[in-house]
Amino acid sequence: MHLPLLPLESYRPRWSEPGPTVVLDGDRVLVASQQAVDAGVRLGMKRGGVLTLCPQAGVHERDHKREETALQSVALCLLQYTPEVAFAARHSLLMDVTASLRAFGGMRNLFRLAKSAVLDLGFTVQLSMAPTAQGAWLLAQAGSFSGKRRRLVRMESLIRVLNPLPCHLLPTLYPHQEWLAGIGCRTLGDLRRLPRAGLKRRCGEDVLEELDRAYGQAPELFHWVETPEVFAAKLELPDRIDHAEGVLFGAQRLILQMIGWLTVRHRAIEQFVLVMEHERGRQAVPPTLLEVRLAEAAWQEMHLMRLLKERLGRLVLTAPVIALRLEATQTVPMAPPTTSLFPEPGGTPADFQRLIELLAARLGDDCVLVPALVADHRPEVCNRWLPAPTAKRIALPELPSNERPFWMLESPIALIMRDERPFYGSSLRLIGPAERIECGWWDGKLVVRDYFVAQGTEPAWYWVYRERLGDDIRWYLHGLFA
Amino acid sequence: MGFVHSSATASSAASVAAAVPDVWRANQLASYRTSTVATGHVQLDRELPDGGWPSRTLIELLIQQPGIGEMRMLLPALRRLAHRRIALVQPPHLPQAAAWACDDFPIGNLLWVKTQRSADALWAAEQILRNGTCGALVFWQTHVRHESLRRLHLAAQGSDMVLWMIRPIAAMEDASPAPLRLALRPAAGGIRVDIVKRRGPRRDNPLTLPLDDMPAVHPSFTESDHALVDQHASAAVAARVVPSALV
Repeated sequence: MHLPLLPLESYRPRWSEPGPTVVLDGDRVLVASQQAVDAGVRLGMKRGGVLTLCPQAGVHERDHKREETALQSVALCLLQYTPEVAFAARHSLLMDVTASLRAFGGMRNLFRLAKSAVLDLGFTVQLSMAPTAQGAWLLAQAGSFSGKRRRLVRMESLIRVLNPLPCHLLPTLYPHQEWLAGIGCRTLGDLRRLPRAGLKRRCGEDVLEELDRAYGQAPELFHWVETPEVFAAKLELPDRIDHAEGVLFGAQRLILQMIGWLTVRHRAIEQFVLVMEHERGRQAVPPTLLEVRLAEAAWQEMHLMRLLKERLGRLVLTAPVIALRLEATQTVPMAPPTTSLFPEPGGTPADFQRLIELLAARLGDDCVLVPALVADHRPEVCNRWLPAPTAKRIALPELPSNERPFWMLESPIALIMRDERPFYGSSLRLIGPAERIECGWWDGKLVVRDYFVAQGTEPAWYWVYRERLGDDIRWYLHGLFA
Repeated sequence: MGFVHSSATASSAASVAAAVPDVWRANQLASYRTSTVATGHVQLDRELPDGGWPSRTLIELLIQQPGIGEMRMLLPALRRLAHRRIALVQPPHLPQAAAWACDDFPIGNLLWVKTQRSADALWAAEQILRNGTCGALVFWQTHVRHESLRRLHLAAQGSDMVLWMIRPIAAMEDASPAPLRLALRPAAGGIRVDIVKRRGPRRDNPLTLPLDDMPAVHPSFTESDHALVDQHASAAVAARVVPSALV
C-alpha cells in the first residue's frame, strides 16, 4: 500500500475543502495539489515562483514528523484487517493478509475494504497484492507502469509483471541510475540478467537482496507495527470548524483508528472521550469534552459513528475547533460471537441495547423509558417509568387488583359540574362502585380520592375521581380507558 | 386449453385460485405475502387479508380520539408479539403499565419513546424499524407528510415487525401509501371499525367489535341501574361517609 501524496495529505486530507496547496522540501516544490498545478505550479519550483504564480496558495514546509504520525494512523486503521502491518520505504505500508482472506470474503473484497478505509482517512492510495511483500511494494510504487494488474496470486505472473518495471524503482539503485541507463539496463528483467557478482561489487549487496526478495528467492523479515497500550489519537484539522456536525469527518478518521486498535487488542469499547480543542495561546478557550458511554461494549464503526453523530447534533460549540483528540477511556475484552446455529428472530440483547443507546443519544435519557412499577395505591406513583439506558429489570411488584385505564393524563383535568354531575364534553354518568384511595400521608403527597369509571353520551370511558380534601368536593378526569 | 375452460365456469373458481396463486379476483381478499398476527377478534380476522394484522406493512388506524378502546383492540395481537419488545412512540398520554399488568402482559417488554418534535418521532420510529429487535411498534402522529409515510412503509418492509400508526380520523380523506387503513370510532360496548382501505373488495358497512374487557360492560346494566348508582354516590358525598368495604 503506497500513499503517493502523503506529504500533501498530511496537511490537507482528501475530505478537506479543495484549494491550492504546496508542500516544499528545502525550498523546492515536492508536491502540489491539483488546483496549484492548474495555476502553473510545477514540481521543483522555488518558493518565490510559487508565490508569484499562485499567491493564494497555502505553502507548507515538509514535516517528517507529521507524515510519520499520518502513516501511523493509517497503520492503526489497517490493523482491523490483519494484525501484521509493517512500515516500508517511501510512504508505504506492507500488510500480510494471508490469514485474513477468508475472514473478509476473499481477495477482491479485502482489497476494496482496505482501499475504502484509507480513502475515508483522507489519503490517496495505490494498492497492490502479490505473493512477495517486496513485489507488492514494487507494484504499488510503479503505479501506472503495472497497468491494471494489481492483484497477483501466482509467482509466475508476478515475475511476468515485474520484469518490465523500470529498475530505478528499487530504492538502493537510485544513486546508480545514470550508470545503469548508460549500460542499457532499464528494467528489472534486464537487471536480473546482469552477472550477480559484478552487480554486487558495483552497487552493493542490498540490491541483490532486494531483487531476490521481490522474486521470492530470499526470505523476508518485517518489524510488525506494535500497538500502544492505551489509545489516544490526535488530529490537527486543516481548517477551523464552527459547527459541531463538521467535526464528524475528523472524528470518523479517529474512530477508524480506534477500531483498528480495538481489533488487534481484542477489546471492545465501553467509554470514550472526544476532546475538541479550541484556540490556544493568548485567547485560549478550554477544550470541549464529549464523553460517550455505551451500555454494551461495542467495536463496530457504524454504531460508534451513529452515536457520535447524534451526540454532536445536540452539541453547541462555543468556539471554533482546531484539533480533535480521541481517547479510549474504558475497554473490556471483546465478547466472542454467539455460538447458536440459528440467529434469534428478534436480534440479540446487544442489538436492543444499541437501539436504546442510539435513541437516548439523540432524544436524551429521559425520553427512552421502560416501566418500573412501584407497589403503591396512588396511580401516579405506581406508574413509574425509568430511563432505559440505566434501568435494571425489576420484578413486577404486587399491584392493586382494580381496573386501571391505559391512558393516564399527565396532570388531572378539573371538571366543571352541571346538574350535580361532572361534565366533560357531555354530562358523565358514573358506573360501578367507587375505588377509594387514601394514602401518601407519610411522604407529604396525601391523596384522598374516590375513583369512578364514567361514561359520557359518546360511548367512551373515562376514569374520574372525586377529591375529598377540605370542605368542597372537586371532580377531576385522570384517565381514559383505551 | 382445458384450463381456460375450467376458469370460465364459476363453480371451479376456487380451484383456479388455488392452482394459480397470482390470479386475483376482485371479489376475493388479496394477500400481503407476509406473516400475519391474528387480531384476536374473529370478525375482524375474517375481513382482513390473510386473516390478521400483517407484519412488514404500515397499518394506519384512524381514531376519533384517544381512549375509545383502541389499545384494547390491539391488546390480543400485542400479547402475541410481547415475547419481543413493544415500542410505543409518542403516545398521546402517559401509558399506565399497571393497566396491562393485571392481564399477565409482560409489561417489562414495553418501551416508551417520548419525543418533542415530530421529526424526532419519525426518526425514532425509523431507527426502531431498522434495528428490528422489537416485535411491534405503535406510533402516534397527528401531522405527517406523505413522503414520511412512504418512508415508514419502506422501513417497515425491511423489518419483520408489525407497525401500527395511529392518526386522527381527519386524515381519512388524505391519500396514504398504507395498504391497510382502518377508521375507529367508539361504539356501545366495543369499537366500530370502518375498513377504509384493504387489499380486497370494498366494505361499506362498519364492523362493530365487542370489547368484553372494556370496563363495566354488562348486559344487565340498564339506565335505572345507573340512576341508582348515581344517587347512591351523591348521598355518600353528602354524608362524607363511604362504606368501609370500599376502602
